[in-house]
Amino acid sequence: MDFLKFKQAVIDAAQKYGIKEYELYYSSSESTSADVFKHEINSFSSSVDGGVCFRCIVDGRMGYASTEELNAEQAESIVKRAKENASTLETEDKQFLVSGGEEYEPLTFTPYELPTTEELINTALAGQEAIYAADPAVIDGTSSGAQSGRQTIAIFNSNGLDLSYTNNIAAFYADAVVSDGKEMSNDFCVKSGDFKKIDVKEAAEEAVKNAKSMMNADVAPTGSYPVVFSHHAMISLLGTFSGIFNSENAQKGLSRLAGKEGQKIAADIVTIVDDPFYKDSAMPINFDAEGSPAHRKNIIENGVLKTLLYNLKTAHIAGIKTTGNASKAGYSSGVGIRPFTLYLEAGSLTEDELIAKAGNGVYINELGGLHAGANAVSGDFSLQSSGYMIENGKKTKAVKSFTVSGNFYTLLGNIAAISSEVKLPRSFGITNFASPSVLVEGLTIAGK
Amino acid sequence: MISREVCARVLAKAVSTGADYAEIFAEHSLNHSINMIADKVDSVNDSVIAGAGIRVFKGLRSVMASTVDTSEAGLLRCAEKAADALGQGTAQISIDLRERLFGDIHPIKTVPATVPNSEKVKILKDGYFAAKEYSDCIKQVTGTLLDIDHNILIATSEGIYAQDRQIRTRIAINAVAEKNGETQTGFFGPGRRMGMEMFEHEVNAKEVGIRAAEQAVIMAGAGYCPAGVMPVAIGNGFGGVIFHEACGHSLEASSVAYGTSQFAGKLGQQIAGPKVTAVDDGTIPNAWGSINIDDEGTPARRNVLIENGILKTYMVDKFNGRRMGMEPTGSARRQDYSYTTTSRMTNTFIVEGNDDNDDIISSMEYGLFAKSMGGGSVNPTTGEFNFAVNEGYLVRNGKICEPVRGASLVGKGSDVIMNIDMVGKNLDLGTGMCGASSGSIPTTVGEPLIRVSKITVGGR
Repeated sequence: MDFLKFKQAVIDAAQKYGIKEYELYYSSSESTSADVFKHEINSFSSSVDGGVCFRCIVDGRMGYASTEELNAEQAESIVKRAKENASTLETEDKQFLVSGGEEYEPLTFTPYELPTTEELINTALAGQEAIYAADPAVIDGTSSGAQSGRQTIAIFNSNGLDLSYTNNIAAFYADAVVSDGKEMSNDFCVKSGDFKKIDVKEAAEEAVKNAKSMMNADVAPTGSYPVVFSHHAMISLLGTFSGIFNSENAQKGLSRLAGKEGQKIAADIVTIVDDPFYKDSAMPINFDAEGSPAHRKNIIENGVLKTLLYNLKTAHIAGIKTTGNASKAGYSSGVGIRPFTLYLEAGSLTEDELIAKAGNGVYINELGGLHAGANAVSGDFSLQSSGYMIENGKKTKAVKSFTVSGNFYTLLGNIAAISSEVKLPRSFGITNFASPSVLVEGLTIAGK
Repeated sequence: MISREVCARVLAKAVSTGADYAEIFAEHSLNHSINMIADKVDSVNDSVIAGAGIRVFKGLRSVMASTVDTSEAGLLRCAEKAADALGQGTAQISIDLRERLFGDIHPIKTVPATVPNSEKVKILKDGYFAAKEYSDCIKQVTGTLLDIDHNILIATSEGIYAQDRQIRTRIAINAVAEKNGETQTGFFGPGRRMGMEMFEHEVNAKEVGIRAAEQAVIMAGAGYCPAGVMPVAIGNGFGGVIFHEACGHSLEASSVAYGTSQFAGKLGQQIAGPKVTAVDDGTIPNAWGSINIDDEGTPARRNVLIENGILKTYMVDKFNGRRMGMEPTGSARRQDYSYTTTSRMTNTFIVEGNDDNDDIISSMEYGLFAKSMGGGSVNPTTGEFNFAVNEGYLVRNGKICEPVRGASLVGKGSDVIMNIDMVGKNLDLGTGMCGASSGSIPTTVGEPLIRVSKITVGGR
């Protein structure tokens, strides 16, 4: 049965089981992708998935159950299971559903048209040819691909809330592998957006250039240096540590920012913003996963922590209004908290000036092993890196296979300069991050 | 789940445009987890995953289509979509399905879905409060008890019609300790391909909590690890993650078939130290990463990957095996029906050697003993990896000295396995989730205590 019929079956079941406060969250996604290897389509896939999550408040507790099978049996089963699961819970946190009748900022974007299957395949093939054409060092093993998808989210609750959202996304990727006969190196470049505007050649050339630059790179020497994080590397750090701004983590002792709202936690030049309507966001949206209105806010303003990110439950505990940052990792997940598009505001220096200011140090272009080498609770990180040495204010030889170590909380205070261009966002799961390049004083590099 | 007759009709549709292979992977899974934080049961997740993925191959081309509609009409539509994507053509093969039964080498005594939440909560609390009450330094604990009942059906144009029911149970405790304003975490999360009987003899929930808390408390009092190149002894059990990342991923057909693996074209060559023998074995009874059949219907087996340092085989799935001219090795896996299957690991470990554990430590003048490893990642093309050391100690003059925090190990897979120069005698396995193109799947890593002669340690 389709979602509308299933919704009615759930409403009937909720009535049968005497449940008055409940929500039905529906998510469905379709995606098509084509991958190219050795100039030919190697694989093609077309998938449809999604499901519904039912949650209800029983005796003050919120029980959840979800399913991908939309039939009469499951409509009753999720209601029954959610009720039973609620009775297992012990948490005394007060639970809420959004009341109907909230005001939402209008969305001004129009979704771009998705590429046809033929356009998708042709783009993937053309991208591959552009990679091979970019440099004679490119070898087989190089791959490219294109992907398109549509996502629909709908939230319905017993307070009269009834929202839905659909958006399209399309992307091209180039994975260039280069070799000098002795050593291989690779780099990955992704461009997302309207296929009529994506420059496939530019993406292909960027991947090849980056892969080549790291071939036979030296290992950086061990020491303490000023470090310039490229916008790409800084996005990785912001993405990894954005959980420190999550009020639930703070309330549960998993973020050191608990109780620090209004205090200075970063250098004066640091302003960090969360904006659901960010101009380059792939998924601008005007409501969060509970159905609260989403809006733009400064998290850090000139070094001062203005607000953490809240949902209905954590805002109630803090005695404030939700910031509209409720999230779900997937339709079946519990409600958590996330930023929409989180970015560091631009500073005033060009990237060259930033590098000149570093004097002698290391320029880090890429960070790896983020899920392993970074501890989101303590803020400690020790991450695999690659980039360039900075000597006498200029980028010099390429370096790799070294780690950069520090602590993210300390790093916020040690940001000495920020470049003037916020680069395109990259997504970590469903959140986008964007950043300029930054200069940070005194980090430890472990290499040779 | 889906009858043999329906599967035959769907496969016939899938091969109708000239595919030389077609496969249905259908799934009906129950995922259940109970989570605790701040001393209370905070959430229960309970979901049904159901759908089917259909793959067709023609030569070196593969097409995958998935659907949540597993009615015959839904499956036929999905098969048609896959067949159409392959192009124009007529059927070249006919479908004749014979049911195949595989013995279950992973017996389950108590199916978790038949145990009430209250009983599971009691076990979780044992682990949770053992961690919380371990020390005054423990400021927060989170705990999860999860069970998965993963039912799969595979039907292929080669005639296979087979099913498997994969039940897994896991408890995971994460403890946060605070000393002098510094916070550190400790984690332990064992799991098995078992039901609730796991808690009767295999895993003691209280010990899980104590181990997580102990690690957090030790690390909260530790200074930072010094940076540099040094010998490193890596502890048994989850320490095997280093082999999994530094070497295992590069032995998967998904990178070997495309020539992008650091070990492509090296069969029969010395790629590791002569004391290293490494195995991927999906048949270990009731181990977390074990299977009866893989997600293409090939029976699980024990694959010796490296023997005395010599590369013996890769882990191969049907599609990538075509490029390599190799038979599948029981290594095809996917998170669920919406992912495209590829070659993955099951239970992967370094076999016990002849070195005494005491000799390994006493051989080190100055180095690091990485007692407990965290996660890691690798680029299979270059072999560059990065691991976090969750619990590490400095070794001076052959003695284990003070604990150090914030250490990571970086380097190149081909170098590090060549530099394994001592292999101890206390093989143990550790539980993990491995993420790659076909999704997140349960895998086991393992090793006895080993020594790597030199490795770059990131610290400060």
